[in-house]
Amino acid sequence: MVKESYNAASEIDLIKASLEGDKRAFGEIVNHYKGMVARTVKGMLGDTVFAEDIGQEVFINLFYSLPEFRGEAKLSTYIQKIAVNLTLNEIKRRKRFLSIFSQKGNNEMHEFEVEDHDTQERKEASEIVNKALMAIEPKFRIIVTMRMLQGYSTKETAEILDLPIGTVLSRLSRAQDQLRNILTKI
Amino acid sequence: MNASEIKKLVISSLNADADPVDVSNKLEAEGVIYNFSQNFGDKILSRLYSAGMTVNREVEFLKYMNFAFYRIALTGVAAIVVLLISIFLIQGSFSLNAFLGLGNNYDESIVCLLTGN
Repeated sequence: MVKESYNAASEIDLIKASLEGDKRAFGEIVNHYKGMVARTVKGMLGDTVFAEDIGQEVFINLFYSLPEFRGEAKLSTYIQKIAVNLTLNEIKRRKRFLSIFSQKGNNEMHEFEVEDHDTQERKEASEIVNKALMAIEPKFRIIVTMRMLQGYSTKETAEILDLPIGTVLSRLSRAQDQLRNILTKI
Repeated sequence: MNASEIKKLVISSLNADADPVDVSNKLEAEGVIYNFSQNFGDKILSRLYSAGMTVNREVEFLKYMNFAFYRIALTGVAAIVVLLISIFLIQGSFSLNAFLGLGNNYDESIVCLLTGN
């Protein structure tokens, strides 16, 4: 799945070529990692046009920050960090927007998502997963996205999110409780 | 997998001993797939390429501006030097009067010069 990355040599070659202005090289990086970024961004924001925009921003940020990439971490981890930061910023921005323009705020939106029982029998896997993800708090959603959609271990998740392993484990447990409650209502 | 099995899989995926790669593969097999639009990569490259062109144009413009500035500055310095030399040759000194074009004339002689008396 996602976790496969280029071997180090070809990855470095592609980065060097991108830095020298080779657009095809950067295009190859984009094509290789766009699925991974889509899982993070769309898992967090839902399948919306905004998610597509944030996905583009991830790679544009990557392009401009490539000169600072020293190769100490894997490129996939580096890209994931950019994706996570941009996605969390977008969620904060939306929350601010909702708090300004709607007195009901973000929780109301979550309740609306959860209380939709009408098509219970016909729900497909992706619909169940999306509804469950959108209904949990962002700080748990990012952990679940990394684990369930990206297939990252606890250690890898902690590294990407810059969190202690203990925090990741406790959030996983709390996310599981939230998901259990939500999934019984769907 | 039916809905209840999917739910069980989602919940159990967060168990500490669960294999996250296996879970994500199973979910993908069940249709939990996230993708961007088909021309996603092209959009990014076109954005970067056009941005790069703008940056290049800005850099070139600044280079030309720098070159023009040096040319103008050098010409100006050369003009000032020529002016100083000519003042020294004509007036014989760099006094204030020499700079003002008054030479060593007295005020009275200037009045005579201006009034003609």
